[in-house]
Amino acid sequence: MFLELTEEQKLIQETARDFAVNELEPVAAGLDQSDDRTPMLDNLRKLAELGFMGLNVSESYGGSEAGVIAFSVAMTEIARACASTAVTVSVNNMAAEVIQAIGTEEQKRAYIPRICSGEFTAASFCLTETCAGSDPSGMMTQAFDDGDSYVLDGTKLFITSAPYSGIYVVWAVTDKDAPKGKGISCFLVEAGTPGLIVGKEERKMGQHGSATNEVLFQSCRIPKSALMGKLNDGFRTAVAELAGGRIGIGSLGLGVGLAAMDFATRYTTERSQFGQKISSFQAIQWKIADRYTELEASRLLLMQAAWRKENGKSFAKEASMAKMYATESANRACYDAVQMLGGYGYTRDFPVERYARDARITSIYEGTNEIQRVIISREILRNFA
Amino acid sequence: MKLLVCIKQVPDMESRFKPNGSGTWFDEADLAWRMNEYDEYAVEEAVRLREQLGESAELTVLSIGPDRVVEAIKKALAMGADRAVHIQDPAVADKDPWQIASIIVAHAREQQYDLIFTGMQSQDRGSAQVGVLVAEQLGLSCATTLVGFSYENGIVTAKRELEGGIKGVARLRLPALVTCQLGLNVPRYPTLPNIMKAKKKEIAALPVDGLLAEPAVAVTTSFHPPAKKGGGVVLEGEVGVLVDKVIGILKEKTAILR
Ligand SMILES: Cc1cc2nc3c(=O)[nH]c(=O)nc-3n(C[C@H](O)[C@H](O)[C@H](O)COP(=O)(O)OP(=O)(O)OC[C@H]3O[C@@H](n4cnc5c(N)ncnc54)[C@H](O)[C@@H]3O)c2cc1C
Repeated sequence: MFLELTEEQKLIQETARDFAVNELEPVAAGLDQSDDRTPMLDNLRKLAELGFMGLNVSESYGGSEAGVIAFSVAMTEIARACASTAVTVSVNNMAAEVIQAIGTEEQKRAYIPRICSGEFTAASFCLTETCAGSDPSGMMTQAFDDGDSYVLDGTKLFITSAPYSGIYVVWAVTDKDAPKGKGISCFLVEAGTPGLIVGKEERKMGQHGSATNEVLFQSCRIPKSALMGKLNDGFRTAVAELAGGRIGIGSLGLGVGLAAMDFATRYTTERSQFGQKISSFQAIQWKIADRYTELEASRLLLMQAAWRKENGKSFAKEASMAKMYATESANRACYDAVQMLGGYGYTRDFPVERYARDARITSIYEGTNEIQRVIISREILRNFA
Repeated sequence: MKLLVCIKQVPDMESRFKPNGSGTWFDEADLAWRMNEYDEYAVEEAVRLREQLGESAELTVLSIGPDRVVEAIKKALAMGADRAVHIQDPAVADKDPWQIASIIVAHAREQQYDLIFTGMQSQDRGSAQVGVLVAEQLGLSCATTLVGFSYENGIVTAKRELEGGIKGVARLRLPALVTCQLGLNVPRYPTLPNIMKAKKKEIAALPVDGLLAEPAVAVTTSFHPPAKKGGGVVLEGEVGVLVDKVIGILKEKTAILR
């Protein structure tokens, strides 16, 4: 049993932390409160140059080949400073990984290097629809076989990074008579393809720096070579790739939770009431003890899931456990951080209210935590059946 | 052209420091470590020169210390150094700057480096001695506290930070040594692919035993603040008497009343 990061992982963590402190943190509050995303897009380019967009992608496609543990620790450090940047980095990595996992050699050569290098500011993962959220197999978007091309029709919802994505990984029904989940395929659609329309942007509670949009496909014609993976086998891929993405979102949650508790804890050592530092009150001390213990447990769950994925072991259950526990711990950490700052915690003069809003979505996207519990219990019950 | 950059791994300055058992250094357990800030400027400048000179130059990074310093070495390799020398010394913190310089010299003398970069000082000990002592022992020309550097045709042009915000320019012929100060450059972040590729670069491990011949010259003594004597005088009596006493004390003990 060895619980220490390798030297390379530590250096990646240090690089992510230094970059986050120097470049991300100074613009995070501004991104939250303005519509100007330029500072984030600039930072995404720099992060790409440093190799953060293909952490677990082979060097031959421009990735860093640093592994899943490195991905997790990097996500946490980035999220400590800016959750919006972190979610973008997470989705970009997921897109690069899915192309690497099931793309043809041409698709890999055509797209992965452009995600990794930052030529594409971002990549998008288009699964969710109005009537297909927790149950994506109920999707309505269709891809019609039209001889030498496919024609996509339908509308995707809640698509991260859509306005500045270079490539969209899109799931669509290719056999509507097949049993549920069996007739779905996966496609790669380049930005600028006629018929791909980036629709309205959601006005969200948090993570304002990251755009979340509707993406419409209106008679969107794509070549046959845009099919990724086997025809009618796309749903299985989506499920498998989401498991990896959950390590990213759990790590992101951990970062936001740590940022909130670190800020609040320091605050309690400076703020006095009743003639003493508020950190001397047991009510505060117990919050500190409980929240940090949960965050530490989250970190260990994440490390385990990442280690299993990195070493080719099954990891879906562990990734779901880590995502669920880390994002709920993060939400509790943010809730208590606001409480520890009292009224000041509710104002925009301090970052904890932003952390609280940013953390809230983490128990919802990449599979709601209810769905994580469905997955975890199903995996466990299987051993008892 | 053979370039050397000497780096030290120091605790993260945000750490909580506790004295160690012998009371002469800090307790190293549970600290997070990173490359000395001034050495990052040195590495960056050395890597830039290596890039300027291309394949005709080779940049070696050297660090003395226990196994943990390999992390700092790997950072320098990821930033662009070609190869590394790790002088293994678990007790590096007990050595004084003269001994550290002597160890570097024992390695550097036979390697015949043309230009050596060091940090201006370390963030933990802050002696600012190692660089100049290496130069002195090897008979190199030397310039300290660089805030500007350029190299052309065997000549180093060094912009130095002097006292009181004054800058000076020195030109040095090779072989030379320079020590690097804040403001010289902005060190690059190592890229992730380079961090991974640094794994394949050579790190020669040399035990310190064969390299150190010099005894310490710095004297370490240990002393404690004197026991606190009585903490003040409480004056008693009538107001008039009190005022006279206060005036008497102020005249006698301070410069306020003469
Ligand atoms: C900011 C943001 C970014 C996003 N980015 C992307 C993206 O890039 N790509 C993408 O494809 N999607 C994205 N999503 C969509 C996200 O993944 C979905 O919102 C999420 O999966 C939940 O789907 P839903 O919103 O339709 O909720 P619903 O599925 O309608 O769920 C509503 C509630 O019912 C519960 N519920 C549903 N089914 C069950 C069940 N079987 N058992 C118990 N409880 C259940 C849910 O847990 C939830 O509490 C994003 C969403 C947001 C808000």
